[in-house]
Amino acid sequence: MWWVLFGFASSGTLILLGSLGWLVWEGTGVWGLNNPVGWGWAIVNFVFWVGIGHAGTLISAILFLLRQKWRTSINRFAEAMTIVAVICAGIFPGFHVGRFWVAYYLAPVPNQMGVWPNFRSPLLWDVFAVGTYFTVSLMFWYVGMVPDLATLRDRAKTKIRRLVFGFLSLGWRGGNRQWQHYEVAYLLLAGLATPLVLSVHSVVSTDFATSLLPGWHTTIFPPYFVAGAIFSGFGMVLTLTLIARKVYGLENIITIGHLEKMNKIILVTGSMVGYAYIMEFFISWYSGNIYEVFTFVNRAFGNYAWAYWIMMTCNVITPQFFWFKRVRRSVPMMFVLSIFVNIGMWFERFVITVTSLSRDFLPSSWDYYAPTLWDILTFVGSFGLFFTLFLLFLRFLPAIAMSEVKGVLPQADPHRSDGPAQSEEAVIEGAAP
Amino acid sequence: MSQAHDKNSRSGNDNPVEYWRSLRHRKMDPAYREMLEREFPEGITEKPLNLNRRSFLTLMGASLALAGLASCRRPEEKIVPYVSRPEGVIPGTVQKYATSMPFGTEFFTLLVHSREGRPVHVSGNDANPLTGRSSNVWANASILDLYDPDRSQFVLNNGAESSVAAFADAWKALAEKHAVDKGTGLTVLSGSFASPTLHRLRREFLDRYPSARWIAYEPVDDENIRRGMETAFGRNVQPVYDFSRADVILAIDADFLGTESRSLANARSFAGRRHVVKETDGMNRLYVVESSLTQTTTMADHRLVMPASRMFDFLLAVAGELRGMGLSIPAESVTPNIPETGKKWVEAVASDLVRAGKSALVLAGRKQPPHVHALAAAINQALGNTGSTVTYKAPPFTLASDSGEFVSLVRDMKAGAVKTLVVLNTNPVYAAPADLDVRAAMEAVETVIQLSSHVDETSPFAAWHVPRHHYLESWGDVGGMDECIGVIQPLIAPLYQGMSVVELAGLLATGSMQKGYDLVRETWKSFLPPSSFEKKWEKVLHDGLLRHEVRKEMVQLDAAAVRSLLADTKPKVPSLSPRNLEIVFQPSLAVFDGRFANNGWLQEFPDPVTKLTWDNAAVMSPGTAEALGLENNDLVRLSYGGREIALPVWIMPGQADFSIGVTLGYGRQFAGRIGSNVGGNAYRLRTYAKPFIDTGLKLSSSLGKHELACVQDHHGLDTEKIAREGIRRRLPQLIREATLDEYRRKPDFVDEIAETPDLQSMWDDHVYDEGNQWGMAIDLNACIGCGACTIACQSENNVPIVGREQVLNGREMHWIRVDRYFHGEVENPAVRVQPVGCMQCEMAPCEQVCPVGATSHDEEGLNTMAYNRCIGTRYCSNNCPYKVRRFNFFNYTKDLPEIVQMAQNPDVTVRFRGVMEKCTYCVQRIQREKIAAKREDRELRDGDIRPACEETCPTRAIVFGNILDPNSRVTQWKRRSRDYALLGEFNLRPRTTYLARLTNPNPELTGKGNET
Repeated sequence: MWWVLFGFASSGTLILLGSLGWLVWEGTGVWGLNNPVGWGWAIVNFVFWVGIGHAGTLISAILFLLRQKWRTSINRFAEAMTIVAVICAGIFPGFHVGRFWVAYYLAPVPNQMGVWPNFRSPLLWDVFAVGTYFTVSLMFWYVGMVPDLATLRDRAKTKIRRLVFGFLSLGWRGGNRQWQHYEVAYLLLAGLATPLVLSVHSVVSTDFATSLLPGWHTTIFPPYFVAGAIFSGFGMVLTLTLIARKVYGLENIITIGHLEKMNKIILVTGSMVGYAYIMEFFISWYSGNIYEVFTFVNRAFGNYAWAYWIMMTCNVITPQFFWFKRVRRSVPMMFVLSIFVNIGMWFERFVITVTSLSRDFLPSSWDYYAPTLWDILTFVGSFGLFFTLFLLFLRFLPAIAMSEVKGVLPQADPHRSDGPAQSEEAVIEGAAP
Repeated sequence: MSQAHDKNSRSGNDNPVEYWRSLRHRKMDPAYREMLEREFPEGITEKPLNLNRRSFLTLMGASLALAGLASCRRPEEKIVPYVSRPEGVIPGTVQKYATSMPFGTEFFTLLVHSREGRPVHVSGNDANPLTGRSSNVWANASILDLYDPDRSQFVLNNGAESSVAAFADAWKALAEKHAVDKGTGLTVLSGSFASPTLHRLRREFLDRYPSARWIAYEPVDDENIRRGMETAFGRNVQPVYDFSRADVILAIDADFLGTESRSLANARSFAGRRHVVKETDGMNRLYVVESSLTQTTTMADHRLVMPASRMFDFLLAVAGELRGMGLSIPAESVTPNIPETGKKWVEAVASDLVRAGKSALVLAGRKQPPHVHALAAAINQALGNTGSTVTYKAPPFTLASDSGEFVSLVRDMKAGAVKTLVVLNTNPVYAAPADLDVRAAMEAVETVIQLSSHVDETSPFAAWHVPRHHYLESWGDVGGMDECIGVIQPLIAPLYQGMSVVELAGLLATGSMQKGYDLVRETWKSFLPPSSFEKKWEKVLHDGLLRHEVRKEMVQLDAAAVRSLLADTKPKVPSLSPRNLEIVFQPSLAVFDGRFANNGWLQEFPDPVTKLTWDNAAVMSPGTAEALGLENNDLVRLSYGGREIALPVWIMPGQADFSIGVTLGYGRQFAGRIGSNVGGNAYRLRTYAKPFIDTGLKLSSSLGKHELACVQDHHGLDTEKIAREGIRRRLPQLIREATLDEYRRKPDFVDEIAETPDLQSMWDDHVYDEGNQWGMAIDLNACIGCGACTIACQSENNVPIVGREQVLNGREMHWIRVDRYFHGEVENPAVRVQPVGCMQCEMAPCEQVCPVGATSHDEEGLNTMAYNRCIGTRYCSNNCPYKVRRFNFFNYTKDLPEIVQMAQNPDVTVRFRGVMEKCTYCVQRIQREKIAAKREDRELRDGDIRPACEETCPTRAIVFGNILDPNSRVTQWKRRSRDYALLGEFNLRPRTTYLARLTNPNPELTGKGNET
């Protein structure tokens, strides 16, 4: 089964490499971009993947700080997803530039001409924000994995595995002092990662918000983007979790209760996003600025109305089903709904990026943007890369945080009595008996 | 032999397939479809010319040698690189030489910018009082024609490569034969011309061969006007309009700012009356009656839509109204058969004309038949404006096109009576009316000799094809009704073998090869006093022209002749319907009659009104389209007079219902890699009896789709209501306008149109308060939207062309574009135009967002681009509210043939793919003039620096200069109350501002439905 999936995924990766190669060889013109619409699918995909990358850190760091113990079943998973998603995201801004081979100009490299990047540009902020987020997420993920890597080392059957895991586990021996240091480090990293959850997507949103373009130029963007990112991140975590849970038979560890909690978060963030949509409309009307008003009316009823209504349906209406407990606890239902959330959030980015550009100030420049085959292949290919890396993770690294799960098992409770057995689930959830 | 040439001559020998005749064939043949859909230049990647480094250097050497010898001296025709630098040549500097570009019976007097012997740019010659510095799209683009890699490069004898000497020998043999028969069966068919030397040589030719003929044929010319004047005045005179004196103008189907002759001079003098400086200034009033939107529509104060075939009815109605007011016009009074709104219109126009009297002007367009012109002349006579707004002159040195003679020539050719036919600079096989069957006639001629710049449609019939030199490579002269005669002098040694028109005419007339220079000089001996000839001649060569007043003819209206002509032409009101449509043939504002078809700049030049590139279309009104069930881009079959072509549909507001406009000049078979098979050949429908306007056209239903490459969405018509409404709401803010009365009452009306909040910036503002601070002002009241700026900019700044497919993708590269908007009713909207280049905002939104700082401000307020630094995020373009930034999506210049590279301006970087580019205010010119001023140890003067757009502007609607200099023109313009910043409410502080548009409607007509 894994090999089949991996076959598909790695083919996707090849598609990605091929289409990026063609892009660099031939020029940005292979995409469907045109004069008013300078950013298309590439930026949409970038924001989409960055958004997905949000849930990992949120689950690991914030829920950890909030002592939400149910997170232990999915946190490793979500963190890996974050790392992989951010890698996928990073490809797009890197390659969407016209001259890929000089993209390093973005880095503040000291040079004899004294030329620096422009620190006023949100694109530069992006470089730092995403870079920081990736680094911290990677650290967090890795540090959290050290005890488990040691377990793998100890159980390794081949020499290579033993050497590799031995190297990666940094000499972990499970000593008391090591555990103490580990807990502190983990806590610190969680504290460090927490503001990043808010900052990354806020910064990404400034790519749009600091511009002049109607529909981009809005102060609501940072919180709205963060809510949207968490929403989409949970959507993706849910999708992946449901598959992995089924394939690997993890029903006992990732329980229906955990899933229900995730659905609640989806419901909340989805409603926040819906509120933002409505508020954007209100503010544009309230501003009295004809360009603003036009942009929003045009989104809903203009040349991209189809995309807008896909977005509205998937993002605002879909999560409302989670008001019903039966839906929240139904695996097939939540799987379908999570897919809708993923679709909807991709369209949100599409609507924001493309509709505003397509019809901005001077009607003479208005044009319609449609993707080309290469836009589509690049996006499809990015899923290939995502699943390739994710499958490699599932295959070679501990997908469940074993040490943490152990820590919340009833058996780990020092005050555990042999009295009436509690349900495992209740314990993991931290629900008092 | 070069590849390109191979291709041409090969296809030239093929039996030419008539692509557009058999529609079934077109529809079925996938290859044809593919050709139609293909991205433009077939084989743009082909290296067309075997121009290696050595021959390039030779060429350069030759050019340098020539330039060194300055045009005011006799050029040595030796090709040697110079060892010591010729006097006056400083590498890296621009040298300007005066010359002229012939254009039918018109000409453009030009200053050509030469770089190290390569002509790279043209502008108007300000010694010419009529056109000054202005030039138009065609003159600006002619530079590219010089370096056209598809130009014919070899003399061909029955398709085989030959030489000029061999041709001269062959002609000697023919000449001896014709010397015996006095030229029986010898005919020269040339394009029309107005040239003292050609005129002289033609006379000598006819003296030498008394039985020979030399006639001219042009597909688009002023023959109707001439015939009308012959009727009205009994003499061969042409009306010359003086718009600078005209207060009230009635233009009947006359696109006098666009496709009519002398449009450049017209635009300049017309717009001269629209430069409103203060509230007390007056302004002319323009009434336009036409069947479709034209260049002239952009300036109309009132416009009446009417089928072109009914203009005579309208003019009769005006005449009747004027008679009623006591004017004596020899026309029967008829009940005007025009719509209700038209009647009111007629009354208002008539009384306005009478009020204006000597300052009134009625003119009809060249498409209208002679009787319309006769009547217009009669009306002008009655108004008493002869000698004021209109004068009549007998065109000197002119051989005008004569379709009657052409028809009889074709008949003689078919009858075998023509033994030797010399086709001089015209392309009858392509452009002649279809019902003459010129192909058959050509085949019946024993020997056809052709002089043309390309191996074209006529070439397969020619025993001898001689490449024609470009005007920038040849000697010649021009002179028509304008107030000067000019010389054509070479800027560069001929790139390929061949002859100039004058040289071939000289060979015909004298029997021997003579240098063009000698022939022209010989002619000019009659204009200059023999005593001081050398001195005067040098001055002429320096100035490029000589003032030469053409006598105004005193004309007397032949009332009886007019009356009888008008009686003969009873107004027939054709009832147009979906089954009986009107067809109107009009020349293109881009490729004209097809002569510029292989010019990429012109193919990609958006038509000023339709904004179409790379194609022609069947233009129809929304009503017609609805009645016929057609949509934009539907390919339809046009059947008329038993012939058919297929064209895509383009729906335009303001088009008369059931009148279809068709643009000539497209559908060339052998134009070259750019122009072949672009669009449909409307000449294939044309008849010699009704060359411009007729009825009886039928349209098929849609046969499929052919997408037209329009640089503006056709929004306003078939977009959603939302978009239409959005445009309607913002348009008054973008293009601010008022009537002259409103302006007088409220001179600062522009400030009330858009609310400008208290503007504050997040940053510490940079203060631009010293040195030169560049700015620009554009007077929308003078701009006619002709697009000369676009092409001048393209030439000056090495702006690439991208081809039809990329235009369809919305990736055209023009640095300054002309936006066109409609407002008002769909049936008859007003057309507004607005040139938009980079505004050089002080608070430039593009600069703030560029992550690598590739675009930033300099101390003179220019928003500069560092191409080397640009990584191509396109964020600047996204954030530019004017969308003037242009991105190199592909490497558009990679495969530019070496010869075309010679047209590039060496002062301007050629941009690589992946970088952003945009208007720089022609920073290279700014630097050049600053250096010049510094070297001469003086301050820069206002007007020293003129960006290409300002320099070329036919209506002088653009000024550029230092906004800190209180006396500069730009400061004065910006001080006017009409000055406003486009999107100024966003605190962009653009350095380019606009002067609001004014209209001058007739108060009697400002009721509903007429005001435009």
